[in-house]
Amino acid sequence: MAESTVHVVDDDESFLNAMSRLLRASGFLARTYSSAREFLAEPRADEPGCVLVDLHMPDLGGLDLQAALAQAPYPLPVLFLTGHADTTSTVRAMRGGAEDFLEKTAAKELVLDAVRRALERSRREREERSHRDELRARFAAISAREREVLFQVLRGRLNKQIAGDLGIHERTVKVHRKSIMTKLSVRSVAALAQLSQEAGLPAQS
Amino acid sequence: MSPVTVVWSMIAAACLTLAAVHLPVWWRNREARATLAFSVAAICTAAIALCELAMLKAATPADYVMAQRWINLPIALLFVALAGFAHHHLDARLRWLAVTAIALRLVSLVINFTVGESATFLHATSLHSVPLLGEQVAMAVGTRNPWRAVGHAAVLLLMLYFLAASVHAWRQGRRLAAVLVGGSLTFFMAASLTRAVLVSWQGGNAPSTVSLFALGVVAVMAYALSADLLRARQLVVELSEREREADLVADAANLGTWTRDIVRDSVVASKKLRELFGFAPGEPLTGEDLAQRVHADDRAAFRDRLSQAARRRGEYQSEFRLVLPDGQLRWIAALGRVDFDAKGNPMRSRGACIDITARKEAEREMLHLRQDIAHVGRVSVMGQISAALAHEINQPLGAILRNAEAAALFMQHEAPDLLEISAILEDIRKDDQRASAVIDRIRALLRHEEVAMTTLNMRGVLGDVATLLRPDAAARHVALEFGVPADLPAVRGDQVQIQQVLLNLILNGMDSLEGLRDRPRSVTVTARRDGRAIVEVSVSDSGRGIDAGHFDRIFEPFFTTKAKGIGMGLSISRGIIEAHGGRLWAENTAVGATFRFTLPVTG
Repeated sequence: MAESTVHVVDDDESFLNAMSRLLRASGFLARTYSSAREFLAEPRADEPGCVLVDLHMPDLGGLDLQAALAQAPYPLPVLFLTGHADTTSTVRAMRGGAEDFLEKTAAKELVLDAVRRALERSRREREERSHRDELRARFAAISAREREVLFQVLRGRLNKQIAGDLGIHERTVKVHRKSIMTKLSVRSVAALAQLSQEAGLPAQS
Repeated sequence: MSPVTVVWSMIAAACLTLAAVHLPVWWRNREARATLAFSVAAICTAAIALCELAMLKAATPADYVMAQRWINLPIALLFVALAGFAHHHLDARLRWLAVTAIALRLVSLVINFTVGESATFLHATSLHSVPLLGEQVAMAVGTRNPWRAVGHAAVLLLMLYFLAASVHAWRQGRRLAAVLVGGSLTFFMAASLTRAVLVSWQGGNAPSTVSLFALGVVAVMAYALSADLLRARQLVVELSEREREADLVADAANLGTWTRDIVRDSVVASKKLRELFGFAPGEPLTGEDLAQRVHADDRAAFRDRLSQAARRRGEYQSEFRLVLPDGQLRWIAALGRVDFDAKGNPMRSRGACIDITARKEAEREMLHLRQDIAHVGRVSVMGQISAALAHEINQPLGAILRNAEAAALFMQHEAPDLLEISAILEDIRKDDQRASAVIDRIRALLRHEEVAMTTLNMRGVLGDVATLLRPDAAARHVALEFGVPADLPAVRGDQVQIQQVLLNLILNGMDSLEGLRDRPRSVTVTARRDGRAIVEVSVSDSGRGIDAGHFDRIFEPFFTTKAKGIGMGLSISRGIIEAHGGRLWAENTAVGATFRFTLPVTG
């Protein structure tokens, strides 16, 4: 599994250095960026990590970075840091889905715990993402006719009813069901239903 | 005694008496040249009367011409005296006429003593007897001197001179003097001339009576002079009246007046001035006594003003403090003038003083009030950017904290990286300095101190302002730009107040961009030299500009277009700039509004 990286974005070079030192000393892998643009310009693979960003920066600020990151293929949790927290920007940041919102002078434990939580969430999200991707790949192997049969099964209909609806022979329905179970490697209809839900498959196409 | 002897002797006596009265007047006042001329004329007339008496009573032609020869001497001198009198009393013009007449008369005098027996006769052959005042007096006949025309020409010229003097005096509005003095002088000359023509050229029969006419002229002159005396007396009365008036005005205006005789160093001071300076009435005063009452800090400047006025022949004005004997302080405004004698040496100085303590106190109160308002304005400005400033301070504090925590963790390693730790310590030191620099700048702005006018480098001032505002500008996504040429001359001003004005204008500019997303958001501050003595600073924003209807009102107190504004910023700023001798105004530009202010260049 890839190492988690903490991306620190701040226009204040001194704070940038200090923060990355603390993260390294605490056993994290830290990367520093002096502006939001520099961070966004960097190509990123789907690796676990989080972003620690200064809320107030000239040009693109922390909130802009958060908005841009939300559109990225591999979003990361965003932790905001600010010299001085005022209500307006806190509300805006949290509404934008910020992992946390901390003052730069906040206690070390608060910051590191927040980082750990963010990384945990990143890992979890990444796993969920890859699990979902894998399921999607499995479902992708199912043919169009099989898919129609699957939806009917998930709705709890009997083979005879399905055959009647689709205008095919009941035995053909059985063959399709078997093929579906094999392709998705499940044994019971209950397992099939759970898997479909995990894959985010709509209940009806 | 014969009537002629009595009358002519009396003429002489009267004239000598008049001269005896007036000559001492001239002696005491040498400026009174007319009096001298009159005295000489009177003495000459006395001499003429005596010589003429000798002629009239002559027994032989030789006695007659001898007296006639000598009479010409006082007559010539009389001419000079009369011309002098006309010059001084009537302010006569055409002096060349008088000079030529006197010159001719002197030539005639020379002829008188050199050619023939007198200026009139080459040779007197016999004496006629003619009646005068009921008795017989002598009159010579004989060969006439052809050069007598020179003397007569002199009479003619002098007559013209007097005539011109009369006309001039008349035109100047001195009609009485013109008619009386000018007229009698002219008449005297005209009569002399007529007699000369009738007797000397037409062979008429008339005894010499110059004295009578001369007496008439002397009498008129005496009258004119006594009129002058009367006028002088009237002037004295008027003058003392004016003096009383001036005293009254001075009293009413609370003016203390003084006159100092510089040579004797004695001061005459009015009652009010003694009151102002705390001197008892009647106490003798010197200039030094006055100077000693002046506050020690102001004394040098006070003396300087006085000596400058004495050197440069001028008036002086000064304001200074007095320390009264009871220790009380009093502000005085003084106005004075130095008078000089004919040689240009300072002779007298005089002046007026007024108590301006109340005004000075009001001024000081105003200044304090203005400083208070400016301070409130600064506090309010700082309130507006306090969030950004807290951010600015927490930045280095946060860095220090993170560095210290990191160092503590590094130290727990088995082999701590000492290089890393020393780098951390160095960074901590720098950040500490950074934090205190921000705090110092804030404190400098919030300090409530007397205005201190110093030489300011606008680059430095704008640099400080930039540091204070950058975080706020960043938070509000405003590009804050500064353009100040390196060769901008220094200006004169109070650093804190000028920064306050800049903070106000820049914050206003940033406020004007609030909610605008359709354009680049920028506030640009530039400074440039305008002409020799002025630096112009402008703050331009890319906002929507100022509403046409608001131009007149934006500088008024309590006028605001902002939801949270109190409307004092621009009013205070304008007050500050005007107190610095500059101007602050606003204009709309192609993209937004521009506020400009000027400051005087040092020097």
